[in-house]
Amino acid sequence: MKAVDFSWVAGATLEQASQKAKAGSKIIAGGQSLGPMLNLRIAQPDALVSIAGLALLRGATENDTDVTIGACVTHAQIADGLVPDIGSQILPRIAENIAYRAVRNRGTIGGSLCHADPAADWVTTLLALGASVVIAGADGTRLVALRDFFRGAFRTCLAPGEILQAVRIPKLNDGQKFGYYKACRKPGEFAHAMAAVLQMKKTTRVVIGAMGAIPLIFEGDEATLQSIAPAFTARAGGIDDVTRHMQLIAVKRAFEKLSA
Amino acid sequence: MNEISFHVNGKPITAEITPRTHLADYLRESLCLTGTHLGCEHGVCGACTLLVDGEPTRSCITYAVACAGRDIRSIEGLEHDVVMAALRTAFSAEHALQCGYCTPGMLVTARDIVRRLPDADDDRIRLELAGNLCRCTGYNGIVRAIRRVLDLRLNFETVPVDRVSEMAPIETATTKPILKIAKPIQPTGDGLRQTLSFAVPRDILWRALQDPALVASCVPGATILSIAQTHITGEMAVAFGPIQGKFNGSADVTYGDYEGTVLGEGQDKISKTKLTAKAFFSVTEADVSSSVLALTINYSLRGALAQFARGPVVQAFADEIAGIVGQTLQAKLSGSGTMIAPKRLSAFRLAGLVFWRWLRKLLNLAS
Repeated sequence: MKAVDFSWVAGATLEQASQKAKAGSKIIAGGQSLGPMLNLRIAQPDALVSIAGLALLRGATENDTDVTIGACVTHAQIADGLVPDIGSQILPRIAENIAYRAVRNRGTIGGSLCHADPAADWVTTLLALGASVVIAGADGTRLVALRDFFRGAFRTCLAPGEILQAVRIPKLNDGQKFGYYKACRKPGEFAHAMAAVLQMKKTTRVVIGAMGAIPLIFEGDEATLQSIAPAFTARAGGIDDVTRHMQLIAVKRAFEKLSA
Repeated sequence: MNEISFHVNGKPITAEITPRTHLADYLRESLCLTGTHLGCEHGVCGACTLLVDGEPTRSCITYAVACAGRDIRSIEGLEHDVVMAALRTAFSAEHALQCGYCTPGMLVTARDIVRRLPDADDDRIRLELAGNLCRCTGYNGIVRAIRRVLDLRLNFETVPVDRVSEMAPIETATTKPILKIAKPIQPTGDGLRQTLSFAVPRDILWRALQDPALVASCVPGATILSIAQTHITGEMAVAFGPIQGKFNGSADVTYGDYEGTVLGEGQDKISKTKLTAKAFFSVTEADVSSSVLALTINYSLRGALAQFARGPVVQAFADEIAGIVGQTLQAKLSGSGTMIAPKRLSAFRLAGLVFWRWLRKLLNLAS
């Protein structure tokens, strides 16, 4: 239960952190998911590059259409309403149910996305909300839609040296509504089923997470309460009946929770 | 060793600390502040909860070097805190502890509830306590103790919390998708199945599969250490995202009439994870010049790695590996010579050379 020996570098600037983040090293923000993996020696990096101290990553901003949140803003800060929201209490309600308060105090929104755990709250909800990530690398910054960011469970498109700088989330508009539900055996535990729904003017998007791979995204004709069951069964493959039932109940409850 | 300065219970400290030392170990081993308890050491039980800059923090998954410039307060440093004093009395009065192991973490979390949620009802108290495990009390006493202190409506100093700072807008170039979302995987309930077609006669495919090493090399990340007839020992490296493992183990291959089985088991020494797997393969003739290999693989994973790589995650990952192995094998056997880009999986990178060697052998056998 002790991590392997690694070196620790606290990046003074984003550029410096990016230069230090070579193959074999790992970027660490709050370390609330990486920490357990390190202690269990499931992850054995040569070096950790800390970005938690970078003021650049700890701010937030908004314009008429989006909210942009720095990668190192914590779940607790979002839960406490210390960043702009995209609707009425949407981001705080997601944040306040992530793990436990002590974990939320250190865990970050950017770290959660980079960790890409299929059962993470932000992974599923921000996919539904159509968020993008700002990625800083040697050649400047680029904006990548979140649905193109994830490559699989625990894997993203980040290249060595690239750092997720911020998350851009569109504000709800024009009668859009959002709903989210997750099923956990105990509050704060990994979810066994989760679904997020974004109801837009002409279409609806349903995202089902806590699966083996990245969450499944359903849009258009598939994304209604009536048609989601066959669509999900077709795309989820040979999952067991209990899991299928739980996931579909999560979808139903996410629809029930739709609000602006 | 990194030189770090912080405050512990109000005292400034500068020390050389190894990066892998977590905060709880540093406090306990170097400062003899043994009031901070360690239970699970991976952020689940809450026994190690203490305050960093006034906020409850898991000291087992917070490295000491990550606390430069911070104000750390362990249970020992809260002796004169007005809320903590009331909680100590209430915990005692309400039988909120028995063995006392969870108590330091419980008290720190309880203090946070009292200060942050003055109007909490009992359900909210229970919800907030979800991250602190107690195996003695059944929690009733703890909830009553916190209720009692909330009802006292104590006066305590609060520090105003600021909104996060305004960030300058970021100019970005919108780029095209780097990689499309992977096709949905179709795992079966009882393991994974792959059916692969080869543009070689059945006997050639079957002869290629008679080499046990070849069969074992179907697993990416595998390195063969020894082969004694049908008994193979070797290692298998697994890496996806931050998760890494290296399994040492053995496999036995048995052959029947155009079919066979592989029984394997391995252990990742570091994470103490055990893997057992059983594969069944059969070769059928499609026509004179082509054949079909059917593979069914069942496996189970136990131990630390299984805890993080939860069932469905392992399944999806294994399916992905199997799919790519199948395609690679197919390409090699049918002589197209095109290697499916192995860079997609780090397991492949680790296995790259070994994999190539066996693929070449397969190619020679098949042609």
